[in-house]
Amino acid sequence: MSNTRTRGQHRPIPFLTVLVTTIALVAASCSGGGRSSSSSPGSGSTSTKGGIVDASNCPGSETEGVSGTTIKLGTSLPQSGLYSAFTEILKGESAYFSYLNQELGGVEVDGKKYTIDLVAKDDAYQADRTVANVTALVNDDKVFALFNVVGTKNNLAIRDFVNRQCVPNLFAATGSPAWGDVKYPWVLGSELVPYPLEAKALFDYLEKNSPSAKVAILRASDDFGRAYSETFRSLIKGSKITIAKEETYNPEQSDTKSQVTSLAATNADVLLLGATLLACPDALQNVKASGWKPMTYMSGTCTSKTLMALAGDAADGVMSVTDIMEPGLAAWADEPAMKLYLDKIAKYAPDADAENGIVAYGWTTGALLAETLHRSPSLTRQAVMETARTLKASDVGLLMPGVTLSVSAKDWFLGEMFSLAQYRTALGHFELVGSVLDFSGHTAKITPPDLIGG
Amino acid sequence: MRGRALGIGTRAGAALLTVGVLAWLPQYYGATDTALFAKAIYIAIAALGLNLLTGYNGQVSIGHGAFFGFGAYATAILMNDHGWDFLATLPVVAVASFVVGAAVGFPALRVKGLYLALITLGLAALFPDLVTKYVHGTGGTTLVQPPLPTSPGWAQGFAPNDDQWRYYLALTIGIVMFILAWNLVRGRFGRALLAVRDHDAAASTIGIDLARIKVGSFAISALYAGIAGSVGVMVTGLANAGRVETFQLSINFLVAVVIGGTATVLGPVVGAWTFVFLERATQDLFPDQALLSPAIFGVALILLLFALPDGIVGGARRTGRFARRKLQARRAPRAPDFPSPIREDRQ
Amino acid sequence: MDLNLFFSQLLNGLSSGAIYASLALAIVLIFRTTGILNFAQGEMALFSTYVTWWLADQGLSIGLAIAISVAVSFVGGAVIERVVIRPFEKASPLVIVIATLGLFLALNSLTQVVFGTDAKQLGSAFPDTVWDVWGLRIEAQTIGILVVLGLECVALWVLFQRTRIGLALRAVADNPEASRLLGVRVGTMLMFGWGLSAALGSLAGAMVVPTTQALTASSLQSVLVFAFAAAALGGFDSPLGAVVAGLIVGIARALTIQYIEPLNNIELVVPFAIILVVLLVKPAGLFGSTQVERV
Repeated sequence: MSNTRTRGQHRPIPFLTVLVTTIALVAASCSGGGRSSSSSPGSGSTSTKGGIVDASNCPGSETEGVSGTTIKLGTSLPQSGLYSAFTEILKGESAYFSYLNQELGGVEVDGKKYTIDLVAKDDAYQADRTVANVTALVNDDKVFALFNVVGTKNNLAIRDFVNRQCVPNLFAATGSPAWGDVKYPWVLGSELVPYPLEAKALFDYLEKNSPSAKVAILRASDDFGRAYSETFRSLIKGSKITIAKEETYNPEQSDTKSQVTSLAATNADVLLLGATLLACPDALQNVKASGWKPMTYMSGTCTSKTLMALAGDAADGVMSVTDIMEPGLAAWADEPAMKLYLDKIAKYAPDADAENGIVAYGWTTGALLAETLHRSPSLTRQAVMETARTLKASDVGLLMPGVTLSVSAKDWFLGEMFSLAQYRTALGHFELVGSVLDFSGHTAKITPPDLIGG
Repeated sequence: MRGRALGIGTRAGAALLTVGVLAWLPQYYGATDTALFAKAIYIAIAALGLNLLTGYNGQVSIGHGAFFGFGAYATAILMNDHGWDFLATLPVVAVASFVVGAAVGFPALRVKGLYLALITLGLAALFPDLVTKYVHGTGGTTLVQPPLPTSPGWAQGFAPNDDQWRYYLALTIGIVMFILAWNLVRGRFGRALLAVRDHDAAASTIGIDLARIKVGSFAISALYAGIAGSVGVMVTGLANAGRVETFQLSINFLVAVVIGGTATVLGPVVGAWTFVFLERATQDLFPDQALLSPAIFGVALILLLFALPDGIVGGARRTGRFARRKLQARRAPRAPDFPSPIREDRQ
Repeated sequence: MDLNLFFSQLLNGLSSGAIYASLALAIVLIFRTTGILNFAQGEMALFSTYVTWWLADQGLSIGLAIAISVAVSFVGGAVIERVVIRPFEKASPLVIVIATLGLFLALNSLTQVVFGTDAKQLGSAFPDTVWDVWGLRIEAQTIGILVVLGLECVALWVLFQRTRIGLALRAVADNPEASRLLGVRVGTMLMFGWGLSAALGSLAGAMVVPTTQALTASSLQSVLVFAFAAAALGGFDSPLGAVVAGLIVGIARALTIQYIEPLNNIELVVPFAIILVVLLVKPAGLFGSTQVERV
């Protein structure tokens, strides 16, 4: 099914109703889409109820959080403590909402303009505090939806609650494959590339360029690291690619020296770095110091100018993936979206570093939310969630030209189009390698099932 | 410390009133606040146990977050993977935490003070790594989220909402644990704890079994922390153990003990409630300046300790004694017109 | 067995061990001079390291930045003692420990408020030369840290054993009341002890952070666990013990990662098992003197 609508064409409710109904019928006919809630087969839907997102058992008001011309949204993210660097996401998204509210008069839903009011609470990256925050946001602040809550554990911790309460949890800021669990239609991941797809991108690249490569893996010891190594291990079955050795590091420690020495001793051709934050530059530096010269693939979560600058020379040539235009890269300087971004960040978030990748991520996700609201046929929680679950969007925020974010009844992952990129220390930027890769619908197929289901 | 000026009747009245207020709270407050009160209860349970170890027995632990996590995971896994009822997990957690606590406390026979504290710190650092290695919970993370107890039919009258029901469960467990602790410290065991704390060599000469007391207090405090962990799972709905969280919990228990008043039965409870509300208040003070909230909390903690170095309960007692002495001074010419209760605190 | 690999891991262990040792030294020093365990040690060092970074960022050479930061930290440590800790003079040691926890929270958060939350890059005082010796890659940085540690040890030994001020410091830590009666200026000595410890922490931060790639609010917390372990293993009142134990902990960890696969991710077991065994045999650590009662 193709979506013929393009951005800027704001209208047809009838069309959307048809679209939703069709999807609902498709979903009902192939019961493999399997929600746990029991809807009798053949109870096809003629209304918006009973699409992918069933709101028939929902408590509370469908339009909670919408009052007059304001939509209240909530978010929870680390603003204090050891992970406070993620606050920059909030700066990016807030800047977008300020721009939207003040210069565009808000977002138009069903013919009426609404401004967005984002309530942000600090959870210091601790899951129990996220639970407390989200309970308060839903029960006391009465938000319409949750937006861009940061962290895999944090989003998992609130998943049951938002599912029960039927509160849309839009664009969870993590690339975990867990958002493909069809029991939880009320949570949708963001435009971040799902971690298993990165392993797929590397595998395809190696098949083409170095089909009998020996691969060393350095990964975080948690679910994040496992998403890379388990997917990659399952992909190489039947190919000539082999694993030389796998080492893990403690994500709360980011010290990888001994692990890298151990891997360097294997002298593998390729290093898969399922690491994040400071462990990335740390590992790259250690690889350089060890004298080992593998082709290195690094998690897309590390493609930030800040982290690469910390690695210095050692980052030269490292491969990764991205689906967002990198601010500051000359190739994008003339893109109108980039000009707008730089201009508005300077205006609405003057203390933020516009070239910081996570500010750009926040801005883009904010734009994605506005686009979703705008396309929703009506301002109810069910309609918005349904719209998000059938979204096909390109040219939003700083998304790269050629990248379309799409989800459907059968495909629950958003960020499945992206490009390989290679860091060039001399330029201080990532250069794109090849054209945009399209893995739409692939994530669920390649991910080992235990990483998706509980 | 039997010397209290309050009569038995007054004390019973105060206890009833307190329980009454605690029982009333979730009737008036919403789900968010009720969860906060329930948090105060489980922190209080852990602090009650740690107070036996640190306050009464003088052994400092900065690793009780690990025992808390142990109890939390035991309950969560039994409920989630094996379909157990929440209450059925408690005896198992109690016994298992007691045994693990005794094993960890064993070095206490030889290692003292700071060095012992460091071994417990190692425990707090190691536990999250063990969890990461061996627990594969929701979405491959270390989270385990069991189905939570729901309000049964007969309780609809006073606890129509599940969060209220869970609060009452927590409160009941908290009261039981409090009474147990109270009985422990008032008896022979309590006196032995203090004797060992104040002078272990002397204590052993009067026939106190040092090993039993030292390891025993470790085991009991671990039991309390484990049960607190179980209650925590029931309240928050998740068992979780990051290194930061585990360390923070360990510290929180210690903070609750100290600001409440070490070696007082009521201290840890008062301390836990104070701690939880202080933390919440500092988080809410400048919502736009979340980065500052730990600083405000830290400063508030220092000021509180400065004002009440022997804790809130200790401070209240001192004030009470002071007031009574003043009162007596004024009444000195007259004979006491009330039956004098035992008063050992007049030195 | 691949000998080259073994020695590489040994070197890794030495270099991380040197890092643990440098922070452990500061912990030991404050214990030695004031008799308390300072939880805020890591965060004081963190703040100092940010000061170093700020100075270097203003264009000062890294050596000069470190020197100024060490001096500033000395004063800062003394002020903290006077303003935050002194009011608890008569309180129990446990209360003081909790007060240092308050300080820990406050400093970590203030550091981020003052200097921002993004990762900073701090240059190393040592060249990033790597020597190739019979196939082993030896980093100048590791050697540099070890040399500084050695110098610190000697300086502390001289201070404590050969100077009047060192004698007074030890006396105050052992028995403040008696020292006061003997005419030692207890308050000044305590301030001096805190200042010295903060200065050492500043130095430790300036050496540690360049090896961890970036300066963030968590830069020193992950090291602190190992530093405490080193302090316990070596004996809380022995600077030499802290250094030797730091190296032992570092080497044990590196070798575990390489050779004991079942302990992957839980390599922390090994240093703490060593500590447990050592403490069971020698309850005051490898080099500690036996009467350490205060907490």
